[in-house]
Amino acid sequence: MSRRLDPTLPARLREMGLMDNSKCFNCGHCTAVCQLTEEGFAYPRQDIRMLQMGLGDALTERVEPWLCYYCGDCTKSCPRDANPAEQMMALRRYLTAAYDWTGLAWKFYTSKAWEIGVLLGLALIVVGLFVVPHLLHPGQIQWEPLDGGVAVSSFAAVSWVHLGDMVMLGLLSFLLLSNIFRMGRRILGAARVPIPITLYLSEAWHLVTHFATQRRFGKCNDKEAYWVVHLMLMSGYAIMFLLVIVFLSSLQTDVGLNWTTLPGYFATFALLYASAYFLRGRWQKSAEVNRYSTFSDWLFPALLFATSLTGILMHIFRYYLTWPAGTYVMYVIHMAIVVPMLMVEVPFSKWSHLAYRPFAIYFANIRSKALQAAQKTQPGSLGVPPAVSNALEV
Amino acid sequence: MENWEGSPSGASSTARQSPVRPETLVIGGGIAGIQAALEIANAGEKVYLVEKSGTIGGHMAMFDKTFPTLDCAACILTPKMVEIAQHPNIDLLTLSQVTAVDGAPGNFSVTVEKKARQVTEADCIGCGMCAEQCPKSVPSEFDAGTGMRKAAYIPFPQAVPNKYLIDRENCLYAKNGKCKLCVGACPANCIDLDEEDATVSIAVGNIIVAVGFQVFDAARAENFGYGRFDNVITSLEFERLVNASGPTGGVLSLAVRDKRKRRVFLPESPKPEQVAIIHCVGSRDCNHNQWCSRVCCMYSLKFAHLVKEKLPDCEVFEFYIDMRAFGKGYEEFYDRIRGEGVHVVRGRTATVEGSGSKLKLRTEDIVNARLLEQELDMVILSVGLEPNAQAGELARMLGISVDHNKWFIESSMGAAPTETSNAGIHLAGACQGPKDIPDTVAQASDAAARVLRSILHGRAEPPLGSLLPRPGTTAVPALDQRSES
Repeated sequence: MSRRLDPTLPARLREMGLMDNSKCFNCGHCTAVCQLTEEGFAYPRQDIRMLQMGLGDALTERVEPWLCYYCGDCTKSCPRDANPAEQMMALRRYLTAAYDWTGLAWKFYTSKAWEIGVLLGLALIVVGLFVVPHLLHPGQIQWEPLDGGVAVSSFAAVSWVHLGDMVMLGLLSFLLLSNIFRMGRRILGAARVPIPITLYLSEAWHLVTHFATQRRFGKCNDKEAYWVVHLMLMSGYAIMFLLVIVFLSSLQTDVGLNWTTLPGYFATFALLYASAYFLRGRWQKSAEVNRYSTFSDWLFPALLFATSLTGILMHIFRYYLTWPAGTYVMYVIHMAIVVPMLMVEVPFSKWSHLAYRPFAIYFANIRSKALQAAQKTQPGSLGVPPAVSNALEV
Repeated sequence: MENWEGSPSGASSTARQSPVRPETLVIGGGIAGIQAALEIANAGEKVYLVEKSGTIGGHMAMFDKTFPTLDCAACILTPKMVEIAQHPNIDLLTLSQVTAVDGAPGNFSVTVEKKARQVTEADCIGCGMCAEQCPKSVPSEFDAGTGMRKAAYIPFPQAVPNKYLIDRENCLYAKNGKCKLCVGACPANCIDLDEEDATVSIAVGNIIVAVGFQVFDAARAENFGYGRFDNVITSLEFERLVNASGPTGGVLSLAVRDKRKRRVFLPESPKPEQVAIIHCVGSRDCNHNQWCSRVCCMYSLKFAHLVKEKLPDCEVFEFYIDMRAFGKGYEEFYDRIRGEGVHVVRGRTATVEGSGSKLKLRTEDIVNARLLEQELDMVILSVGLEPNAQAGELARMLGISVDHNKWFIESSMGAAPTETSNAGIHLAGACQGPKDIPDTVAQASDAAARVLRSILHGRAEPPLGSLLPRPGTTAVPALDQRSES
């Protein structure tokens, strides 16, 4: 099967932050200096070469961009100053857009207007959802403290908020999983052998551990602090997810503090600290990973920070100042940030790498084992010799 | 026509009353300076050859073989060196440096600082008794540090002038006024440890700059482990190790530590079984030098051949970025080396690390897109060429230009590759840019021809038309500078 070169691809990816990639003369220094490169998974040189040749279609079969955690060793020592690490970053943006069947990811990565427009539009819808019912049915809101507390449910009924959560969960899960399905079909399709169904189950364990620990991060040079903060962000995120999706009735009560308070405080602190840490790093350009920032790199941590901050303010207004009006306003602002953020970031932008990274490892290992199995059962009879026959070291 | 028609042999050219002085100064005694000096002297004109070190010969004298013919370098060079020493038209000034240049094209007056040899050249019989008695040992420059020499020494046995000298930086008498063992040992009574430096003034019509290059300091590229691992060696070190006049007598063996913990190469030491040659060390690298040093691909292939010749069972790997085998017979030489069983791998080595008693090298095998981790006994770093450290200062003195990398700029790459922006000042060899020996020799002869033309024609300036286009319009575009972060 021959493949067509697409010389326009690098130019199109420039809108996603791809830098001049003509500097690279393919010496392979980046691959050899990378601590994560291993037998069967040699990158970033090959990915950059494919990018230079415009092999966009073939690139969607590669897992390698997701195996890079951007320590910047390759960029620091690149003899051509071609910035391979940032090219891998641009490739991850490209892959996110390529997996997405709606085309929105491409729009968001290449157009600030689109991304900001959609965020603002969704925010307006959220505000409307809170305000319009009260305009139609006035008189339900408790503007005075009730039994020494703020009656949040009089403003936003838990059942309705919960329903909204579930709708969003369903929608986002559908979008993200459908994109992951497309990703898997490309990666596994590259094996060109049948995939034994049992592999999907036996390899699932790695999916869980890599999602939870992101331990390949730790193999990078000098990324330990970054890894810890990233884990902190993830744990805060996961706790908040559980509290909002499963335990909303305990989180949003009209009586005082309860068991959700302590994990809630931890999660909030983790989200606030970690998002501030990443924002500060980008501002100071303190590490190689922070030297170049596109709009999308700023947006996600900024929105996370704003979400945490408005959540804290609402909590203060509600429990410590017992100020109903302030609480309700802050509630709406909080929701008008968090809902658009999740809608845009989870399936279409930066958030999705949390899913794509472990899934890339998962699919790569399934593919490798399927190839091994095929070689065992039909030695020498494969139409296409396997390029990758070993699983990732995990 | 001018009066030179009457003296075709060029004899008694001073009688021609030409506005161009017939004497020529050649700065630098490597193969470029030697070639240019001989061409002019053999045409009957006077040459002053100024050399910074104690002998002429330059880098070429250190080489074992030349590519692509595998001729013995010394067999080509030493007869020319001897010819220099014996030529009636050549005044050789060693241990000398040009410190000032005045005057105009056709009539320069040049000041040369001549460091004291402290051995009377005319009287020294080259017996070596002084070196035998000298108590001070230091690494030998000629052996690129793989062997030792004394403070009273001769750079190498075929040195020209074939006379000993005292290295005052290391002489114990120069340091604390005690020792003088060499003076007592000298049967010719020719050592004067109190001899002082001298200043020489010479008048010349033309100057040929042939100050050559220096090699990239391999320790600057820390990822290759030079200085950390004894058996990571540079190309010049390798040249000396395989040379019959080198410290091991031409036996390629691994470095070991002696009783004083110094790295030494001994013929009886274990031999390497796997050797890697890494191309482009310090070259084509925006962290160091961006240019291609032009000679490394070919000398690296030559090294592979030499290793195979000395140790036929040794496995040899070449790690390269692009193979530049562009000259006459070069591609054929590359073919020949592959035929000798050398593993030629495309990929720039990223790191060399210690791995027990061995070395481990990481490279991407680009053709197969696989990571290689190769265990080796010896790694040879093919270091690139850099402008001579004194090029900038010399350019100011001569009123000529260097580019942003400090290579001297020629008038026109195509039309006048050896002329400079200052008439009467010419370039020869690698000081103008990295060059191999055949190109250096050709260019040196070109510079000599232009000098002779100016003398015969009586005009320092080259005729109109030979210098088109002017400098600047042919400048090599600068490679992108590394962006500041």
